[in-house]
Amino acid sequence: MKADHSSALSTEQKEILQEVMNIAFGKASADLADIIDIYVALSVPNILIMPASKVKNYIENEVKDYGIIDIVKQQYWGEFKGIAFLIFSSGAGKKLISLFQKNENLSFDSEPIDAMEKETLVEVGNILIGACVGKLAELLGDILTYSPPVAMIEQKPADSISKNTFDLNCTAIILKTVFRFENEDVCGNLFLTTSNKSIHWLKKALNKILDEYE
Amino acid sequence: MIFNQIFDMVNLGLVILDKEYRVYKWNRWMELHSGIEAEKITGQPVFDFFPNLNNPSFLRNCKSVFTFGNFSFFSQKLHKYFFPFKTETLIGSTFEYMQQSCTMGPLRDADNNIQYIFLSVQDVTEIVAYEKQLFMLSVKDGLTGIYNRRYFERRLKEEFERHLRYRRPLSLIILDIDFFKKINDKFGHQCGDFILKEISRTISNNLRKIDILARYGGEEFCCLILEAQLPSALIIAERLRKTVAESQFNFKGTLIKSSISLGVSSVQNEINSSEALLKKADVALYKAKENGRNRVES
Repeated sequence: MKADHSSALSTEQKEILQEVMNIAFGKASADLADIIDIYVALSVPNILIMPASKVKNYIENEVKDYGIIDIVKQQYWGEFKGIAFLIFSSGAGKKLISLFQKNENLSFDSEPIDAMEKETLVEVGNILIGACVGKLAELLGDILTYSPPVAMIEQKPADSISKNTFDLNCTAIILKTVFRFENEDVCGNLFLTTSNKSIHWLKKALNKILDEYE
Repeated sequence: MIFNQIFDMVNLGLVILDKEYRVYKWNRWMELHSGIEAEKITGQPVFDFFPNLNNPSFLRNCKSVFTFGNFSFFSQKLHKYFFPFKTETLIGSTFEYMQQSCTMGPLRDADNNIQYIFLSVQDVTEIVAYEKQLFMLSVKDGLTGIYNRRYFERRLKEEFERHLRYRRPLSLIILDIDFFKKINDKFGHQCGDFILKEISRTISNNLRKIDILARYGGEEFCCLILEAQLPSALIIAERLRKTVAESQFNFKGTLIKSSISLGVSSVQNEINSSEALLKKADVALYKAKENGRNRVES
């Protein structure tokens, strides 16, 4: 039987998820600035529901204007589980080296730039994904564990996400936001994908929030 | 009870810090490698014992974990180590301290509030030593021991990108041994190999540590001169030419004289790629050959 992807979340649940994400990403952005001195503007997030088989093409299409990309992937586990993709246009990692390694005694001679770039992307990705996903999970009443992020530089979008990443029989929820590092000419996209294995829990969590509002 | 035993028995350093960066727990592995007993360090600020940790990256990640509950992963590649522990000497390794791969994560109380962070410390010295050996094998020229062409091309691209970002000066010297075929024909290939090694050594001894010398082709070498503009690079090139021309290479009792021709280029407005920089030096080398060899052109 064909899955009915559109009914994964009700309109009301989608609206409240949108609101929760707005609050979560707002808090993430404020905390990044206040506590870690990283100034990131996060756009109002979008929520999309689609068959998991279409996620790869969707993400590729969303970043096609970048041409070659740098990508950071990280898995998160809890009741809410999935994969985060942080995608920049190629070369962003190099720009972020100066932002993240400022005044730090790192040896430029001993490590090639691509290694520095990769490690910087891993740190940026870890903090940015951790902030956004962590705040979202916190508001939804969940606690997450994370895998080490994997960074790949100078990739073609089509090569950077494997077809096997998603369980093709699932429905996927995609949460998309555009971010921009203020004072630095670096921006990119953050995609949080979660499968319908989390949907049952997500619905319950959203209903709980709805009940508290009512 | 069981978990407490695991804490002390794992082959992994485990440290728990509170919000003031005081040590709350210090496992046996940390005692063993640091020589600091848990009793002594517990309750004390970790920075009192390890001031190197009091740096922006460590603090940023601690704050991030306390605030967002995320995990932070510190690879050996970038951070080398958190805790400067002495390591057993490994064959071919020159590490002063144990190389470490570290993870940091949140620990919550019964109300789900993050009260502590944990640090796990894994000894990866042996893996890194092997990695380093493999890396050296992949970037060095087997005969001369200087860098190979593949490594040079990668570094040239990287250094050119660095120049574009920071506008730092960068120069390149291409040099070729004059009449090398004649040496091979007259004294044999063993002697040719000897001359290649000796000239590599002579050039290497006359460059700074930060410069990158590579064997580019048969008897052709490239030097990437970092942080140097054309006048400085020309002085270096002339010094190399003079040193080689004045040297006598003793091959099994036979004294052999040789010379080199050199082409020099520097990054300037019209050079917009690493390939263009290389091309310009190559054209200058051709000019040096045309103009009689044993000379420097730019």
